Amino acid sequence: MSISMIGLFQEATPAADAMDGLKNAGFELGSFDVLTGTPYPEGAFGEHVPQHRLFRFPAFGAIIGFTLSLFLTAATQIAYPLVTGGKPILSIFAMLIIMYELTMLAGVISTVIGIIFESRLPNLKMGAYDRRITEGWIGVVINLDDESRADDAEKVLNYAGAVEIKKA
Amino acid sequence: MVNLPKKETHNSHHTLPPENVESAVIVRDLIDTTNGTSNSFKIIAIGLGIMSVLGIIALILKWINYGDDSTRWGYVAALVSFLLSITGGAPMVAMGPVMAKANWVRPLTRLAAIFSFAGISTIIVLIPLLFLLPPLVVDGTRRRSIWFEAPNYSPHIWGIIGMVLLLITGIALFYSAALPDFAAMRENSTGWRKKLGKKLSRGWVGTDSQWRTLRMRIGMFGTFYFFVMVMVNFLYTTDFAQGVVPGWRDAIFTLYHTVSSWQGGVAALVIALWIVRRKMNLEKYIHLDAFWSLGRLLFALTLLWIYLFYSSFIVFWYGRSENDKATLDLLVKGPMIWAFFAGAAFIWLVPWWILIWNRVRKSINGMAIGASVIIFGLLLDRIRLFVAAWSVPQEHIHQKWLKQIPDTIYPDVYDIVIAIGSISMSILIVMLMTKIIPVLSIWQIQEFNLLSKPIKYIKGHATLIAKPD
Repeated sequence: MSISMIGLFQEATPAADAMDGLKNAGFELGSFDVLTGTPYPEGAFGEHVPQHRLFRFPAFGAIIGFTLSLFLTAATQIAYPLVTGGKPILSIFAMLIIMYELTMLAGVISTVIGIIFESRLPNLKMGAYDRRITEGWIGVVINLDDESRADDAEKVLNYAGAVEIKKA
Repeated sequence: MVNLPKKETHNSHHTLPPENVESAVIVRDLIDTTNGTSNSFKIIAIGLGIMSVLGIIALILKWINYGDDSTRWGYVAALVSFLLSITGGAPMVAMGPVMAKANWVRPLTRLAAIFSFAGISTIIVLIPLLFLLPPLVVDGTRRRSIWFEAPNYSPHIWGIIGMVLLLITGIALFYSAALPDFAAMRENSTGWRKKLGKKLSRGWVGTDSQWRTLRMRIGMFGTFYFFVMVMVNFLYTTDFAQGVVPGWRDAIFTLYHTVSSWQGGVAALVIALWIVRRKMNLEKYIHLDAFWSLGRLLFALTLLWIYLFYSSFIVFWYGRSENDKATLDLLVKGPMIWAFFAGAAFIWLVPWWILIWNRVRKSINGMAIGASVIIFGLLLDRIRLFVAAWSVPQEHIHQKWLKQIPDTIYPDVYDIVIAIGSISMSILIVMLMTKIIPVLSIWQIQEFNLLSKPIKYIKGHATLIAKPD
C-alpha cells in the first residue's frame, strides 16, 4: 500500500538538509518534494526541478494556426481564381494578415490549454499535509509505493531535525 | 532599496523600514479580516445595495421613457467609460509592476485584481447603449466606422464580447493568484469560507512545481489582460464615441482613453488602499512604500494625460479643416467647455501640483487626496467626451462633418441616480469580495517578508531586497 509521509520543519535550512538526506539515502528523484506556504527561490532546497513543457503548447498551437491559415487563404484563392489587374492569384500581403491573426489565435488558445494542463490541478490526491505550512512551516513530503522504506525515510527526516512527522 | 517613514530616526528624512511579521501572524490577521462584519460595514453595504437597485430601476425607467432618443444617453455612455476606466484600469497594477518584479506591489495585487469583479456593473450599464447604437447600415447607406465590410451589428457584438472577455480575463488573473490563499482559507477559516477554500484551492499544497506554474499563470493571464484591456478601450472609444460623431477621426483618442484609464485605476486603488488600511487596521502590511511607489506611477500618468491630450488637440488645431474645427467645437470649445476646463483642472493641473511634491507622495493622506481629485477629473473628462458625442442626433450620422453643434446637455434625474447606483454597485462588489477572500494576498506578503529584510545602513536604515530570479 502506498504511503505519503511528511516531515515538518520550522526553518528552511533543516528542510534543505532533509532533501539532501533523502537524495543521499537513495530515494528516487521526484518521489519527495518540499511544500511551502510561500514561493521560495527555485532550487533553494536543492529540490528536483522537473522540466516543464509549457513552451511546447504555444509553439505547437502557432504551427497549427499558421498551417491552417496558409491552407485557408491559399486554398480559397486557388478555388476561386479571380485575376485582378494581371496580378498573381495568391495575394501574399493580404494573406499575411489572416495568417498572423490565426497563428496568434491558435497560439493563445493552446497556451491557455497548456496552463491548465501544466498546473496539474485539481490535485485530487493531496497526500500528507499540515495546516502549519500555510503559517510559514516547511514540509518535506515523500511518497512511497510500500512501507518497506518508510523507516529509512523517517530516520532521514528525524536526523535533519523534523519537528513532527505525519503519515497519510 | 527603500527608506520608509514611520518612526523618525534623526533629523534627516531617513526613516525606519517596515519590520517583518511572523507568517503565522500574517495568516491569522488576514483571515480574520474576512470574518465577521462591523455594523458600519453592514450599514454601508445595505446603503450601497439600495442605491444599486435604484440605479438599475432608473436605468429601466430611462429606457422606457427615452429609449428612442439616443441624445439623452450621453451621461450613461460617459458612465460606462468611467467605470471601464476604473474597474478595468486598477487590475493593471496587479500585473504591470509584478512582471517588473517590484517588491512594493506584493501586498496590493489582490486588491487591484478584485476590481475586475466590479466590471459586472460596467456591463449592466452598457446594455441599453447596445440597443441605442445605430447599426452600420443606416437608411441603406453604410455609416463611417472602423467596420468596412463587417456584418451590420459588429460594433454591438464585439463591444459586449470585449467587455465580457475583460471581466473573464480579470477574474482569471485574480483566481490564478488566489489559489494559495484559498488553500490558506481551507486550513485556517471556518464555516462556509473553509468549504469555499477547499473547493477553490483545487488541492493546492504548495509544491515547487505548483509555485512555478502559478508564476506562469499570473504572467500569462496578466499579458492577456493587458491585450484585452487595450482592445476593449479601442472598441469602446471608436464605436461608442468617434463612430457616432460625423468627422471625428483621432488616432490618439484610444491611447488617450487607455492611459487615462490606468490613471483612474491607480487613483482608485490608492483610495481603496487608504480605506482598507484604516478600516481594517492593516497598517503593518500596507506600508508607506506602497503609496510612495503608486504616487510616482500616478504622477507619471497624470503628466501623460496632458501629453496625449495635447498630441491629439494639436492635430485638430493646426489641421483647421471643417471636420477638425467641428470636432474641436463639439469636444472642447463648444457645449462641453465647462467640462473641459473643470476636467483638465482636476485630472491634470491640480493633481500635478499636488503630486509634484515629494512630501505629498510620501504621505498616505496626501496621496488619497490627490487620487480623489483625479477620480473626479476623470469623471468630468468622460462626461466631456461621451455626452458631447452622444448629443449628436443620429440623423446626422452620414454628414461629412458636424454642421450644427448641439447645445449643452445637462444630466436629468435618471442620469444622476444611474451614476450613483452604478458606482455604488462597483464599490459594493469590491466590499463584498473583501469578505470572501483576504483583501491582501497572504502568500505575497509572506513572500515580501521572505525576500526583504530591514537593515541598518551606515547611519541610516534601509530594506535589503533579494531578487532571486
